Amino acid sequence: MPRDTALTQTTADGPSDEALLARYAGGEALAARLLIERLAPRIFRLARRLLQDSAEAEDVTQEALLRLWQIAPRWVPGGAQPATWLHRVAVNLATDRLRRRRGVGLDTIDEPDDPTPGALDGMIEGDRRRALDEALALLPERQRVAVVLRHLEGLTNPEIGASMGLGVEAVESLTARGKRRLTELLSGRREDLGYER
Amino acid sequence: MNRDSDPMDNAGLDALFAEARAAEPEPVSPEFQARLIEAAWVARPRRPGWWQRLSAAFSDPLGLPGLAGVGVAGLAGLWIGVAAPGPTADLVSTFWQGAAGVAPAAARLSANESDIFSSSGNELLSLLGDGIE
Repeated sequence: MPRDTALTQTTADGPSDEALLARYAGGEALAARLLIERLAPRIFRLARRLLQDSAEAEDVTQEALLRLWQIAPRWVPGGAQPATWLHRVAVNLATDRLRRRRGVGLDTIDEPDDPTPGALDGMIEGDRRRALDEALALLPERQRVAVVLRHLEGLTNPEIGASMGLGVEAVESLTARGKRRLTELLSGRREDLGYER
Repeated sequence: MNRDSDPMDNAGLDALFAEARAAEPEPVSPEFQARLIEAAWVARPRRPGWWQRLSAAFSDPLGLPGLAGVGVAGLAGLWIGVAAPGPTADLVSTFWQGAAGVAPAAARLSANESDIFSSSGNELLSLLGDGIE
């Protein structure tokens, strides 16, 4: 599971996520509100990056949180952090949706030859993160999922393989191709990205 | 795109990834957050009522489900002992009136219920038998 991602960082101020979850299990509605404010934005961003669809990303976020509420009374303190658990659920829900969207397994999908390179031309000035998100959106689906999970969410290749139903080698290949394609997509935007030539 | 003339090298891409990982996500929309809060409220765990807690306590005593019946019987016995059921005179009277309908000879005993308890079983059976014959 993610180790180097901000998703799993705990909030220095206030009660821990686990404490809030326990309070929710005890019937304190305010605890759920605080957890939503902490966790929902990251889960929604992850789902939107994977699915490239805000409505579906909202559905995934809501479903993942619902599962967290349902497991709250049986939550075992000291194990996985709620944020990590929620992250895993969201990844699985999103990849399941990607499979259903195509009606076949992700590993059987033929990738398009090339995404539209001209789409970057329409990119207005924005910050680097926005440029990265836009470039990610242009990647073939499997490459995007692999790159997002590996480099933005901090999952290991075996974890990504388990989520996508692929072997580790296939994940490594997808990640490498995705990074190469991202490099191509962003190479002409060094100045826009704030890097000097 | 000419990678040779304008490369975005791996270091640059890794820097972008690092920035993206560290970046705080934007808050979700107020409407979506309201839906999430409402869903959490609907799904909130409810504290079980006293009957559910009592059932749970006796459903698996000492990890042995087979003892559940023993536990319930014990509880029932305790309740009977503490609650001390009321007098049974009404019950006896109702029974005896029904018996008198079948065996009229038994009706003479109904005037004094204490006679019933002082009579032997054979005496009572003979009264009933007289009525039937």
